[in-house]
Amino acid sequence: MQAAPSPHSPDSTPPATHHDHVTIMQGQAYVGTGKPEIVTTILGSCIACCLYDPVARIGGMNHFLLAEPAPDSGVVADANYGAYLMELLINQMMTSGALKSRMKAHIYGGADMHRGMTQIGSANARFARQFLATENIPLVRSDTGGECARRVDFDPVRGRVRVRIVGRRDVPVERPSAPRPASGEVELF
Amino acid sequence: MAEELHVLTVDDSASMRALLRVALGSRGYRVSQAEDGVAALEWLADSGDDVDVIVTDINMPRLDGFGLIEALRDQVRFRDCPILVLSTESSDEKKARARSAGATGWIVKPFDADRLDSALRRITH
Repeated sequence: MQAAPSPHSPDSTPPATHHDHVTIMQGQAYVGTGKPEIVTTILGSCIACCLYDPVARIGGMNHFLLAEPAPDSGVVADANYGAYLMELLINQMMTSGALKSRMKAHIYGGADMHRGMTQIGSANARFARQFLATENIPLVRSDTGGECARRVDFDPVRGRVRVRIVGRRDVPVERPSAPRPASGEVELF
Repeated sequence: MAEELHVLTVDDSASMRALLRVALGSRGYRVSQAEDGVAALEWLADSGDDVDVIVTDINMPRLDGFGLIEALRDQVRFRDCPILVLSTESSDEKKARARSAGATGWIVKPFDADRLDSALRRITH
């Protein structure tokens, strides 16, 4: 017997027998190809945002380390920051045919992994919620905070997500990475 | 003191509009903003006489950056107005399309505010 779809599963289509698997690392954004696939990431204090357009059946996920640089810091909001990776994900989805006005969001992660240290995870989760509110993208499901690492498996065709608690040692090291070579590139025609 | 330049920024992201308003406003620009190509054309038709330069995103609903640039180049009033694309895209194909449409230049997001400022000063000089 087929299980009834959960309230968070926008599609009741039976699962495909074969999925490609794609792993998203910190600093990346990925939009589904339209073929059956599962997009996976493992999070500590980082946030993964899954966006889904249920009409176009296009979904994507990003994974960011930090929220945004301080306004006067002179630091560019590069791929370490949600401020950039959220826009990158939205734009890549629009390029693939999704409409921003139809997008719905899930956010996961944002754990505060080390007691007594700066609450980076909480700040990341606050940023993600605020960003989505500013952009008028409904947040339909979230699982953030706490002290545990999470594994997120996202089906970008059906918009379904499975979240599991995993051990801390399963989380890749979360630290800032070098900017992309093309970032900030100026070309005058 | 440098002359105050009037810049119109066109971006569907409210977060990016806020970022650009702070980045350019703090560097002495007068900043006007529109949320997509259609809104930009409407605003420019009514209030665009003193705009010195336009900064536009590419991926936007209703009318994207390419369509906006083409529409502006069809108008005598904006045929020579500098238009800078500010986009997460960085492919040569997209840049060539923007150049063909009449864009003046292209900056890849994430952007450095000082480099954006420098580029705007150069193309409006």
